[in-house]
Amino acid sequence: MAVKGIMFLFGRRKRRRSSGDNGEYPRIPAERLNDAAVDGDLERVVRQIRGVLGENDDFTIRRFLVFGRYPAAMFFYPNMIDMTTLNSEILKPLMYGPPHAERLPENGEELWDFLLESTLYHSDVRSETLVAKVVSDLLRGQTAVIIEGVAQALLLGTRAIEKRSIDQPATEQVIRGPREGFIELLSTNISLIRYRLQTPDLRVKTMEVGRRSQSKVAICYMHGITNPELVKEITRRLDLIDVDAILDSGYLEQFIEDNQMSPFPQVQYTERPDKVVANLLEGRVALIVDGSPLALVVPTVFSQFYQTVEDYTERFLMMSAIRWARLIALVFSLVFPSLYVAIISFNPELIPTEFAVAVAGGRAGVPFPAIVEVLVIEISMEVLREATIRLPQQVGGALSIVGVLVVGQAAVAAGFASPITVVIIALTTIGSFATPAYNAALALRLLRFPLIVLAGIFGLYGVMIGLILIANHLLSLKSFGVPYLSPLVPGSPQGMKDLFLRGPFWWMSTRPDFLHPSDKTRISDRTVEELKKPPNNVLEPADIENTRKR
Amino acid sequence: MKQAKRITTVQVAAIMTSTIIGVGVLPIPLFAVRGAGSGAPLVTLLGAAVAFVGLFLITRLGMRFPDQSIVQYGEVVIGKWLSWIGSIGVIGFFAILTSLTAREFGEVVITSVLTETPLEVTVIVMLMLAAISTRNDITTFAYIHLFYFPLLLGPALLIVALSLKNADLINLQPIWGNSHEGMLASVLTIASLFQGSFIVTTVIPAMREPRKAMIASVVGLVIAGGMYVMIVAATLGVFGSEETKNLLWPTLELAKATSLPANVLERLDAAFLAVWVTAVFTTLFSSYYLAVKELSKLFRLQDHKLFSFFLLPAVFSMAMVPYNILHMYEIIQNVGRIGLFVTIAYPGLLLVVAILRKKRGEPSEKRSAG
Repeated sequence: MAVKGIMFLFGRRKRRRSSGDNGEYPRIPAERLNDAAVDGDLERVVRQIRGVLGENDDFTIRRFLVFGRYPAAMFFYPNMIDMTTLNSEILKPLMYGPPHAERLPENGEELWDFLLESTLYHSDVRSETLVAKVVSDLLRGQTAVIIEGVAQALLLGTRAIEKRSIDQPATEQVIRGPREGFIELLSTNISLIRYRLQTPDLRVKTMEVGRRSQSKVAICYMHGITNPELVKEITRRLDLIDVDAILDSGYLEQFIEDNQMSPFPQVQYTERPDKVVANLLEGRVALIVDGSPLALVVPTVFSQFYQTVEDYTERFLMMSAIRWARLIALVFSLVFPSLYVAIISFNPELIPTEFAVAVAGGRAGVPFPAIVEVLVIEISMEVLREATIRLPQQVGGALSIVGVLVVGQAAVAAGFASPITVVIIALTTIGSFATPAYNAALALRLLRFPLIVLAGIFGLYGVMIGLILIANHLLSLKSFGVPYLSPLVPGSPQGMKDLFLRGPFWWMSTRPDFLHPSDKTRISDRTVEELKKPPNNVLEPADIENTRKR
Repeated sequence: MKQAKRITTVQVAAIMTSTIIGVGVLPIPLFAVRGAGSGAPLVTLLGAAVAFVGLFLITRLGMRFPDQSIVQYGEVVIGKWLSWIGSIGVIGFFAILTSLTAREFGEVVITSVLTETPLEVTVIVMLMLAAISTRNDITTFAYIHLFYFPLLLGPALLIVALSLKNADLINLQPIWGNSHEGMLASVLTIASLFQGSFIVTTVIPAMREPRKAMIASVVGLVIAGGMYVMIVAATLGVFGSEETKNLLWPTLELAKATSLPANVLERLDAAFLAVWVTAVFTTLFSSYYLAVKELSKLFRLQDHKLFSFFLLPAVFSMAMVPYNILHMYEIIQNVGRIGLFVTIAYPGLLLVVAILRKKRGEPSEKRSAG
């Protein structure tokens, strides 16, 4: 019995794996259809397909006669296809036949070639023999034509899904840089990347993830730059996912990240094609999921979360300064309230006397200890923030004004909070908005609360303990083997040029070495040399005058 | 037992420095001044030199057996049972060192910033922090030390630089010191503050190039020793030797006496102490890691995580043994001197026997070169 059970298990596993090798996953219709093939018996195939899909009222079977002679049936989901194309480019030629044909084909085989060679006005045509495959393609928005006496099904690419237009990325706006953002459709997103990287080295591999959703996932990387081991590992991790649906790239992220328990994101997401391209060129891999406007970029290091595309489009000096501002905002959003609590409750002697007196004056009427005050205001701020996201846009602005200005002012007037506290919380909140990556800001936002509690219990000592815990955690994190804090730790002088500063391009002539790219050079030495030479003053006024006189 | 060879020479130097610089910075001017009055910087320098002997021996041993730590090559060199005694001694000593460091810092914290908090709480918090962190592997261990390295030097150098305003050169003279009676004891006490450098034995097996271990050790020791000498000199320069003798933690007093220009922060001691938590943490982390890691090697376990919390109650109860600060410093000085036997004499014995018996680990030069 037991042996039989094990055998059964093994047999099942084996079948799974063998089907996994083709990049296919066990499908519900496929299991029902087994290995049924299209063999020229029209009625049987119609019955089979109807058996699987017939219960859907949005599924259509259109019967007709090819050239008025051979019985045939056309299968499609009318809502997923472009009807005009179907009518004029497929159905019409199939029924009429080409006007230039001298004689029409006699038997099935001849008919097949005739259809492909001189009848259909459509480029995306494939043949298929397995009914199960036909069904899965139908579900994808293809149209299938099956003809009596022909042992193959015609699959026509007629998919036309409604899509929104490409517009500005909502979460990653820039002042200088492209204005395009990804949309939900995978094919459009890939085209957005491909027209920015017109090289055969851009490789796009697709696979299907999700037992029921069959979501298409595209793995994009640069052949010759990206470390091949990385691509292999990503494919392996994706292969292991057996879940019923992947509805967004966020689902995928949680299956491929290294540490699921960490509050810090180990995968970066972006809706900017130019950002994806820049990352591909650094040697990273991008994952795009059909139906999600957010591409994932791996491996990810912490410094990516405070860098923006704009850092590279503007002059390096200015952007380095702005990057510092962002870093300060990041630190603000994490430690500011806890530092405040620690200093007010334990070490007021640290701050200059005049200011300490002012703070004490502001807090005079407040009945709570600093930690309670800060926690209450912080939590109400979080509530307010959540409320503004959920509210319709027209009301949102009004609510934020009411929330921030009116409630804040009233709380101070009512003696519920001190003005300094409100200032601190406001700065913290603004700081967390200045972090370009929402998911990283979220992590820091969350970690602020334990820090406040620690500060309330142990003062500065507690804040340090908390920060050491966070830092140690960050140091132990890895994204696909890349230490999370690289290039800071382990130190890489070359990578540090793009860490706290954004070095000028001629300074960063190689790709980041922590990603171990196959091709290291980004800017050729010749260009760097040229840039360092004194400029050639073609329009130097004195020289021009001289030549004119002569 | 194969370990991944991932740690670079720079990381080892950072590990050495951040391990050596710890809570010892606070009382070191006192220890030094007790020995030779105004000759305190000299005493510190001599202490570092004594510590270097031990470090030299242990690094030499480590380079001789580049794939093993002291627990493992001890068995090869002097046999299983004798080395067991030695290894237990080393592990026990570092467990005690961990507990004393935690206790000392706990005392500092409750004396100067958290006067209402019970000592047990501050000690257990510090020990928990170290215990949680020891659950990482040796690569992360190196990363952590490298990360905190600037935080260690920065504040101390700042304090030294700011105190120059109040310092008087006359306080440092005569350089040879006034009296030399207690000098030897002082030198040994200060040398014992460098005992953390023993961590190199755990690190060498994971080094990418064990041949460079000596350079890393020397650099680490020079940075840490230089720091100590500077701090002692600055304290002495500000307070003078007689005044320093009356201060329990002269360095902390130094931080109190200095203030940032432009009155940004009124006093620096609390901020200094807060940043100093990282320095204490790295020291504690290293000694705890050494104890845990070597214990797991003694029992031939692949994974050392088991012991990180297993040792915690023992270490904590040891930390609670001293009755008060004075008793604690007495114990620290005694344990420190006994520790010199463990960290200098035992490796010395191993090295001599290893040379006599011509034992050495399989050469790793070939592998790292090829």
